[in-house]
Amino acid sequence: MKRLYYRIEKCLGCRSCEIACAVAHTKSENILEAIKEMVLPRKKVYYLEEKNFPLSCLHCKEHPCVYACMAGALTYDEETKMVLYDESKCVGCWMCVMVCPYGAIRPDLKKKIPLRCDKCKDKNEPFCFKACPTGAIIWEEEGTVPK
Amino acid sequence: MYRYIIIGNSASGISAVEAIRKKDKDSRVLVISDEDYLSYLRCLISYYLAGDIKKDKLIYRPQDFYKDNNIDLILNKKVVKVEPKKNRIVLEDKTQLNYDKLLIATGSSPYFPQIPGVRKKGVFGFRTIKDTEEILRLLTTTKTACILGGGLIGLKAAYALHKHNIEVKVIVKSKQVLSQMLDPLAASFIQKKLEENGIEVIFGQDVVEIIGNGDVKAVKLESGKIIGCSLVIVAKGIRPNIDLIKDTEIKFNEGIVANEYMQTNIPNIYTAGDVCESFDLVLNKYNINALWPIAIEQGRYAGENMTGENLKYPGSLGMNSLEFFGLAVISLGIYRIKEEESSLEEIKFLDEKNNIYKKLIIRDKRLVGAILVGDIKNSGIFLRLIKEKIDISSIKDKLLKENFGYPFVKDLLKEKEVIYV
Repeated sequence: MKRLYYRIEKCLGCRSCEIACAVAHTKSENILEAIKEMVLPRKKVYYLEEKNFPLSCLHCKEHPCVYACMAGALTYDEETKMVLYDESKCVGCWMCVMVCPYGAIRPDLKKKIPLRCDKCKDKNEPFCFKACPTGAIIWEEEGTVPK
Repeated sequence: MYRYIIIGNSASGISAVEAIRKKDKDSRVLVISDEDYLSYLRCLISYYLAGDIKKDKLIYRPQDFYKDNNIDLILNKKVVKVEPKKNRIVLEDKTQLNYDKLLIATGSSPYFPQIPGVRKKGVFGFRTIKDTEEILRLLTTTKTACILGGGLIGLKAAYALHKHNIEVKVIVKSKQVLSQMLDPLAASFIQKKLEENGIEVIFGQDVVEIIGNGDVKAVKLESGKIIGCSLVIVAKGIRPNIDLIKDTEIKFNEGIVANEYMQTNIPNIYTAGDVCESFDLVLNKYNINALWPIAIEQGRYAGENMTGENLKYPGSLGMNSLEFFGLAVISLGIYRIKEEESSLEEIKFLDEKNNIYKKLIIRDKRLVGAILVGDIKNSGIFLRLIKEKIDISSIKDKLLKENFGYPFVKDLLKEKEVIYV
C-alpha cells in the first residue's frame, strides 16, 4: 500500500499541503467551502531549527488509537493497512488523541471529531501530495522509499 | 474440556479472544459472562443514558462474532469458583468446566458504602446496560437525582440525567471533583462548567443515610441536611470482582496480581482488565488502572501469551480523557505532587480566559505525569515520553509551547516507522 513520506530538505513550509488537505475534505472540493464550514486540515507543518516537518496520521502498525477507541469508531483494515474512522460511531471522547504516539490525531474541539489523515482514500491521490510545489511530499509504496 | 476459557465478555475478554484466534483458529474457546448481553461498549452507557446515542451503538462485537470465530458463549451465569489444582471452574448452577488455559477478566463492580438504605429501590450503581435501563425507566417520574461521588462515573451520570432536565446534585466527600485524576485547579475548570450548566456540586459531605419506605425519598448528609430525591446513583469508585478466587492460591491484593506476561502466580491462569493489578510505570508498584484502552491492551497480551507467545507487557499507568460541556481534559500518570515528594517538579501554562491549563510533572529528568485542560493536542506524545522514560532535559522548555509537536521529540525516540527521508 502507498503511504506518505516527507523529504525534509525540500519542504519550504509553504503549507500548501494543509490548505489542500482542508479542501480535499469538503463536499465540493472547494476552498471557499473549507473556510465557510471551518474544515480544518488533517495535516500540520511544524517548524523547528529552520526546517519544516509536515505530519499526519501514519496509519502506523501499532495503531494504539484503534485499541483505545471506546466507541468502536476506529478500526484497522488489514488489507489496505489503514486505520478507518466511522464518524457515526464517534462520541468525541478523545481517547485516540490521548494515545496517538505522534500527536498526529488532532482534536477538532468545536465539531467534536478527531482530525486524521485518511490518505484521501476516495480520491486518486492525496491532495497534499498533488499540491506540494517542491516535491517534498512522497507518495510511495511502503518499503520502497527513495533515499 | 476447553483449551481456553475466558471469564468476562467485555474489553479485555474480547480482546484476548481476538488475540487467541489470530494464532489459534481451531482450539475450543469458551467465553462466560454474568451479564445477559453480548459484548458492548461499556463506556458508552452514559451517552445512552443521556440520549446522545441509540442502544444499537452500544454493540461492541455482534452475535456473528462468536459464530464466525467459533467461540462458545455462556451468558447470564456467574463463575463462583476457580479450582486451579483441578484446572476447573464452577458456575453458579454447579456446572463444572475444565480448561487448559484460563483468563480471569471479570472486571469490577461499583462500590456501595454500607450506609442505611443503600439497597432501597431507586439506588443504583452505574456500570451496566441493566443499570442504565433501570435508571431510564425511572426518569419520567424523577424530578431530582442525587449522585454520590464526584469521579468520572458520577459526573457522567450527572451530565446524562441533566440532559433529561432532571435536577442533579452531586455530593462529593473531598474538596474537588475528579480527585482521582485532576489537581484542584484543573478540577475547578470542570466544576465551573458543571455549575454554569445547572449541575450543583456539594463538597466536603458524605451521604450518611438514604431515606424512604422501600422507594428512595431523600438522602441525609453528614451535616444533617436532607435532600429530597427519588433517584440515587452511587459512584464511589469500583472494586475488582475477585470473589471467585478469594479462597484459592491465586495471589491478589486489591485485584489479582498479573506478572509481566499477564499471568497470575498460577502459570496457566491469566488475568487482564479492571480486575487485575499490573505494574504501574510511574508509581513503580502494582496498581489497578481501570480503563477501556488499558483493558484492551492487557487482554491482547494475555491472549497472545495464552497461545504460547512470550510477550512482555510494558506496564500500565493511570490515565483518562473526558469532556464536559465542550471542555476537554486529559490526565496522565501522576497529576498532583504530594508534600513529601520534593523530588518532583512541575511546569505549568495557564490561560484562564480561554479555559486552558496545562501542567507537566517531571521526576529525575523524566516526564511522569500531565494534566491538559482545554488544549489536549499532543497528549499522546506526552504519554509516550512517560511510558518510554525519555530524558526530556533538552526539550523541557518547549513542551508546553503552542507550536510544540512530534518533530521536537523525534530524535529522542526510537521509531519503527519511517516518516522523514
